Amino acid sequence: MIQDVVWSVSIVLMGCFAAVFIWVATGANAAIANYGPVIDSAYRFRTWLFGIAITVLIGANYKTLGELPYINTLPQLSASAVQTSQAVAEQWSWSITPDNFKVGQTAEFHVTSKDVNHGFALYDPDFRIVAQTQAMPGYTNVLRYTFTKPGTYQVLCLEYCGVAHHEMKAEIKVAEH
Amino acid sequence: MTMAATTGRSAISPRAAELAYLVVSGLVLLLMMLLGLTMRLAQAQWLDLQPDFFYMLMTMHGAGMVGIAGLSGTAVMWHFLRRHVPLSTAVFVTNLVFFLIGAVLILGSGFIGGFAAGWTFLFPLPAYSQSLWSNNAAASYMVGLLVIGVGFLLLYLDVARGILSVYGGLGAALGVKQAFGLAPDTEGPPPAVTASTMVLIVNILGIVFGAAVLVLSLVNLYVPSFTFNALVAKNMIYFFGHVFINATIYMSVIAVYEILPLYTHRAWKTNAAFYFAWVLSTVLVLTVYTHHLLMDFAMPTWALVAGQVISWLSGLPVLLVTAFGTLTNVYRSGLKWNPAAALVFVGVAGWAIGVIPAIADGTIAINSVMHNTQWVPGHFHTYLLLGMMAMMIGFMTYLTNAKLRRGFDWLGFWLYVVGGIVFVLAFLLAGGASVPRRYAVHLAEWLPYDRMGSIGAALAIVGVLILVARCFTGVRMAARAEDSA
Repeated sequence: MIQDVVWSVSIVLMGCFAAVFIWVATGANAAIANYGPVIDSAYRFRTWLFGIAITVLIGANYKTLGELPYINTLPQLSASAVQTSQAVAEQWSWSITPDNFKVGQTAEFHVTSKDVNHGFALYDPDFRIVAQTQAMPGYTNVLRYTFTKPGTYQVLCLEYCGVAHHEMKAEIKVAEH
Repeated sequence: MTMAATTGRSAISPRAAELAYLVVSGLVLLLMMLLGLTMRLAQAQWLDLQPDFFYMLMTMHGAGMVGIAGLSGTAVMWHFLRRHVPLSTAVFVTNLVFFLIGAVLILGSGFIGGFAAGWTFLFPLPAYSQSLWSNNAAASYMVGLLVIGVGFLLLYLDVARGILSVYGGLGAALGVKQAFGLAPDTEGPPPAVTASTMVLIVNILGIVFGAAVLVLSLVNLYVPSFTFNALVAKNMIYFFGHVFINATIYMSVIAVYEILPLYTHRAWKTNAAFYFAWVLSTVLVLTVYTHHLLMDFAMPTWALVAGQVISWLSGLPVLLVTAFGTLTNVYRSGLKWNPAAALVFVGVAGWAIGVIPAIADGTIAINSVMHNTQWVPGHFHTYLLLGMMAMMIGFMTYLTNAKLRRGFDWLGFWLYVVGGIVFVLAFLLAGGASVPRRYAVHLAEWLPYDRMGSIGAALAIVGVLILVARCFTGVRMAARAEDSA
């Protein structure tokens, strides 16, 4: 899952950065060097780092910007290829119609709110987020998701909306073919 | 040479005013940390709190922390900037007074009025309390924020006046010509001036937008037929919030530029790369705010794509100029570590390390599954608890007892750093497991993360308490000390 990759890569990079800071800190007193030569070699090294950073930046953005969740960036699907579902949020409940699907079906949730900002977050049967969008008053956000696993999914509210924000949940059932 | 000129008549000396800022900052910081610990203990089910009380504490904690980051960062900026430009102590003190008035209004809105719409007061939630708080309580919060904003606006206008009186233009004070190689580096402004110029530009804009949406929200409270577009309101709120909280780090980093060289005996290099990084940061901080709106599918797609790309670009000046510059300054310098130097060094490390989860969350495909999970407080607490705050406490330590290297300071330092790391890791782990943020009641499966976070928070608070208390014992001596050149 994306979250696991993100966590692993993040903790490794954060650990590397921390290690560099610790290495410089603990070695600050050992074998003092003149600032001039330190600066010169540091700036040469930094040019390499800049090149690596720009390469990673371009690569990561090129890849991830091809995977946007916005409906206008996704391939057009015919009406028969998607199951439209109306998802309306209000303090503090969801009204999702229909709320059952089959594996392989592509749902398009039309998400809106009757009152304040809410957050429509779809959790799979393993309780990991697979998709989300904001539920806003005056707007309808379209969230497309293709179900690949059967089971009971949950919709949690993920935008703070008042005292029962944490109780605002709904279930979506996904059956086998 | 010291430019101790004050153009306002103030009975309080500049040093006394700075120390007043730091005493208030230390006390409010500790109080806000205790509120945060209370929240984590409640989520960990080690404390039993009613949800409405939790959400009120959450609102107070957010507003208090953002406010105190602003106040303490301003103290750092003002202290070093007045060596180069004339600043009014009267305006500086006025800002503190406005802050305290606003803080009372905000604390009253919550602890008396039960206001619990989150510090971000996301329209139209303040008017939809379902009878939990009154319109007057919500108004007290908003007026409190406005008063604080007016105080800061006056201060930044005075900073602008002082800078313009010496440098003639904001471009010159930012080092724009140096940034593009059109003038020699040696003629560029000092780091404190460049940083302050960037901050006054972004914060004047941020505060004005924040004030505008607060006024709109206030009218809406009492005239419900006066509504406005919720998406526009969201844009304004997140522009204000993003700019204001980031500016606190950009002010505090001046402490790094000024304090570290005192101990490494190496001047901070202001060259084209340094000035370019600050010019770039001015633009990036103003334009990146849409990374708070990546799940607002109603936004124009180009604005959200820009939010992602600019988020990535924003890491470059932080990592390749500030962090790299810090490491170069310390590397084999012969620096003998003391708590002040260690704290500002940790502050840069925290900021640099925090870039990683921040950029992750600023990537739309990742934000889809991590937005509004605890990954978000994980990344901003890395930036703020282990970044900005470390720089600020380092400055306090430098100002009040830098020469004293007692064991007790080191105990405080390590408790704070280790506790802080455990605390943010708990948030990041939980975010990776899709635990939502801003939930008063947690599921049983989430409790291990909450308990880890609670322990980390408790350790960090003890550490900060020791460090701040040690600073307070040095306040009187610091008040008598002359301003250093």
